[in-house]
Amino acid sequence: MDGEQIIKNILALDEKNRNLPHPVRKALAFAYVLENTRISCDCRDRFPAINMVDRPLNKTIITKWHKEVFEGTIPEVEKTRRFLEDTGIATCWPDYDHSVPIWERVFSLGFRGLLEDSERARVRLAEKNKLTAEQAAFFDGIKITYGAITAFLGRLAELASKTAGSERLAAALCHLRDHPPETFYQALLANYIYFMLSEHIEGLQVRSLSNFDRIFYPFYRSDLDNGVSEGEIRADLAYYFLQFTAIGNYWNQPVFFGGTKADGTSEINELSFLALDVYNKMGIYNPKIQIKVGENTPKEFVMKALDMIRRGNNSIVLVSDECMQRALMNIGVTREQAKLCNVTGCYEYPIQGSICYGMNYVNLIKPLEFALHRGCDGITGEFVSIKTPDCYPTFDDLYREYKRQLCFIIDRVMETVNAFEDYLAIVNPQSMLSATYPSCLEAGKDALAGGAVRNDSIMLFGYLANLADSMAAIRHFVYDTKSITLNKLVEILDSNFEGNEIWQRNLYQYPEKYGNNKPFPDEIAADIVKFLTSYVCGRPNSKVRGGTWNCSFHVARQSYDQGRLTMATPDGRRRGEELSKNISPSMGQARNGVTAAILSATKIDAGSFTGDACLDVALLPSATTGDDGLEAMYALLMTYFRKGGHAMHINVFDANMLREAQKRPEKYQDLQIRVCGWNVLFNNISREEQDAFIKQAEALA
Amino acid sequence: MNKATVFSIKRFAVHDGDGIRTTLFLKGCPLRCRWCHNPEGLSSKPALAYFPDKCINCGACVQACPAAAHQIDKDGRHVYLREKCVACGKCEAVCLGNALTFYGRIMTVDEVLPLLLEDKDFYGDTGGVTLSGGECLVFPDFCLELAKRLLDFGVKTNIDTSGAVPYGAIKPLLPYVDTFLYDIKAIDNDVHIHCTGASNRQILENIKRLCDDGARVEVRVPYVPDFNDNQIEKIADFLSALPITAVRVLPYHNLSGSKYAALGMAIKPPERPPTHEEIEAAKDTFKSYGIKVL
Repeated sequence: MDGEQIIKNILALDEKNRNLPHPVRKALAFAYVLENTRISCDCRDRFPAINMVDRPLNKTIITKWHKEVFEGTIPEVEKTRRFLEDTGIATCWPDYDHSVPIWERVFSLGFRGLLEDSERARVRLAEKNKLTAEQAAFFDGIKITYGAITAFLGRLAELASKTAGSERLAAALCHLRDHPPETFYQALLANYIYFMLSEHIEGLQVRSLSNFDRIFYPFYRSDLDNGVSEGEIRADLAYYFLQFTAIGNYWNQPVFFGGTKADGTSEINELSFLALDVYNKMGIYNPKIQIKVGENTPKEFVMKALDMIRRGNNSIVLVSDECMQRALMNIGVTREQAKLCNVTGCYEYPIQGSICYGMNYVNLIKPLEFALHRGCDGITGEFVSIKTPDCYPTFDDLYREYKRQLCFIIDRVMETVNAFEDYLAIVNPQSMLSATYPSCLEAGKDALAGGAVRNDSIMLFGYLANLADSMAAIRHFVYDTKSITLNKLVEILDSNFEGNEIWQRNLYQYPEKYGNNKPFPDEIAADIVKFLTSYVCGRPNSKVRGGTWNCSFHVARQSYDQGRLTMATPDGRRRGEELSKNISPSMGQARNGVTAAILSATKIDAGSFTGDACLDVALLPSATTGDDGLEAMYALLMTYFRKGGHAMHINVFDANMLREAQKRPEKYQDLQIRVCGWNVLFNNISREEQDAFIKQAEALA
Repeated sequence: MNKATVFSIKRFAVHDGDGIRTTLFLKGCPLRCRWCHNPEGLSSKPALAYFPDKCINCGACVQACPAAAHQIDKDGRHVYLREKCVACGKCEAVCLGNALTFYGRIMTVDEVLPLLLEDKDFYGDTGGVTLSGGECLVFPDFCLELAKRLLDFGVKTNIDTSGAVPYGAIKPLLPYVDTFLYDIKAIDNDVHIHCTGASNRQILENIKRLCDDGARVEVRVPYVPDFNDNQIEKIADFLSALPITAVRVLPYHNLSGSKYAALGMAIKPPERPPTHEEIEAAKDTFKSYGIKVL
């Protein structure tokens, strides 16, 4: 049946089922899709093709239920949520994008095993107390869902058995229908099928394909012991990676390597090297790879990854094992749990069986707008906040008011999110995921309704660099040198520097900027982080979920989206321009190079919150060539981690970036060319010379 | 208190010796290599570089200049009159277009030391500081004191030198320097004079004495077609008798034209950079003499 027809029929079916509880309705719709969607096998691909219908449940019933809740049940909350988003103050929406199944359970039990285990849990729970209606619906949802999955595996197996050249696939699917995977190929298939069905049909993103080397190693080892050739394993892996490469969305599919065993040694094994090698040879960018790096990580492995990065693969992110463990233990997680944490999405790190959710992007510039405009938004002029003092005699007065305004926003966001997170499991109940969490089965509770081991929420704060730089500029120009009054400065910002371009230049060029190892802006950045962690971390989130809040500093595309809605800032940024990313310095302001940027970034205590704190680092190809270059990248990374950094994303400038630097030199005034004994800023060389570098970068690719 | 004229400090230097380093560039050089890519290091006198393409005509430099070297002409455009400039450097800080770079701050060891220690955490066991230029050994006492004091902090120093200085300036540094990065440009004296304006006798003597005295020496050989490309075999032969650690071949590049222009210096650079094949052939020559090539 084609996708459009399926969508229509889901809605009709759901209408018929409207008196059933949501988990059951969703499971029945899921089963319907699996029974009817087009599937195909081809001897040229070791994996089956499934028509995902482009998220049929999200498009239909989940959207319907979302509307019912947000517009019907909590319209005031929705109104506030909309308002916060439209003004660029904070963008928050229900997060169905950041969980990970417990892959060990998927592999040790298999799909039928998960179903049976759930049924056993139902019986145990019912023996203690009569099941509530919710609990019954929860277990029914799982039963129908996993029943549908096993039937679907049967469907796939039947088709494969009829397809010439797909015998091996058919046998594997047949096995997986009733049993857990036993071989490497079966495990890859199980992983692929779980991922595709969850993310693309059932409606919950699978935000890590697993700790690949740790989880798949036993299968790999046993295959080799049973005489399977390494060539065959490599081929299976290549086909597996290709399934994700073919998806091609901007958020990509993460998989991670490394970690620390119970005895303190590294999880890196022969499979880690093999997988990285296969990935490298394929020259692909999806799935995206994260690597947990620690003192115990074999240098050879890290160097291999760094070499891939310097040759242009910027789909690799390096995260500090030690930092994540430290941050997690700070919130009461045991060291064993901390060691096994997942690395999800960009760089979040929830422990196994936990939900740590947050699409709550808060704009750190907005409270400054309010402080400078008597509680009004800097763009719309509307009074949106709380009353401010009439004036700020000292810098500290302004800084204090900033924090007050910041608290006001945080409280609004928390209220809003706490309110709608009560409904997460109602809008999008999680049968597939919850069956993999023993804690959910013990309690008969959905993972999104408090059934997970931890049920936390994250507030993501953006534009720390712009904020620190703006504060430094205000202190210097208004209070220290008295070069301009605060009112006049605000006037200039409000007019977007029109007629005052010299002030724009002055502010932009003022060298006290975060990312240059300068005391004052760095102090502000570290102080704001400290303030945020003390104000946010540990506070209760939604009643239904029963977890706590934490924070992080990652804003994805909001740098642009919220940037468009943010006034001109005292750091010399014009109205509407993009804002800074992660804990990186503002674009073009890291004028003292990458070492200074690291020194600034590590003044922030990344262990004081359990969320992203990624530093984006851009290197020129000339700084990464040869053995010297690779060793330097390694030293840079390890120094950053040793100083407490959380994650680093290295970008080696390519020709396109250099062309961009030609077009927007002010954003690249820190870009320096370094070869032996020579140094010059990219901006200081002639056009022809720049073109020569671009050619060089093209040649290096 | 020892002083030196500094024209630049570059952090995260990756090709100036092992590991991550900070390179300090001192101003002044006895040679005048035809291919020099750091013209701001040649003269020991402070100088201002002006990049006219970046000037935004704001006039801030005009306000700051005590010598009227920066002026606004009758068309309202900024002009820089180099002949009036007293090289005080006051204009650099106020330039809103980043069009001015002042080369040549006189600094003491005390002033330079904290700047070089800022990245100490990145140096590890292999990295550290490299003194370069120009020719850093035109300030031998400064370099010696600095190397000693860096060692007190556990930081190693490399010296990047042309060798065109008296051995008396080099020898005291031996106990305090990790590696000498030593340039050899030509063996035939007439070629050397043509390329650099000076004889190579002292340079070749010095490297022999350095090796005899047990220094760790890594040699740099700039490869400049039509200037010293016919010297490679002879250099390899010369070096094969010395206990150097390795040779690094540096391909000439012709990308420093703007720096010369910004400094108001005429340039008649070598015509063409070497091809990849020429560089590989040069490396092979060194290897054939049993010399390690980086």
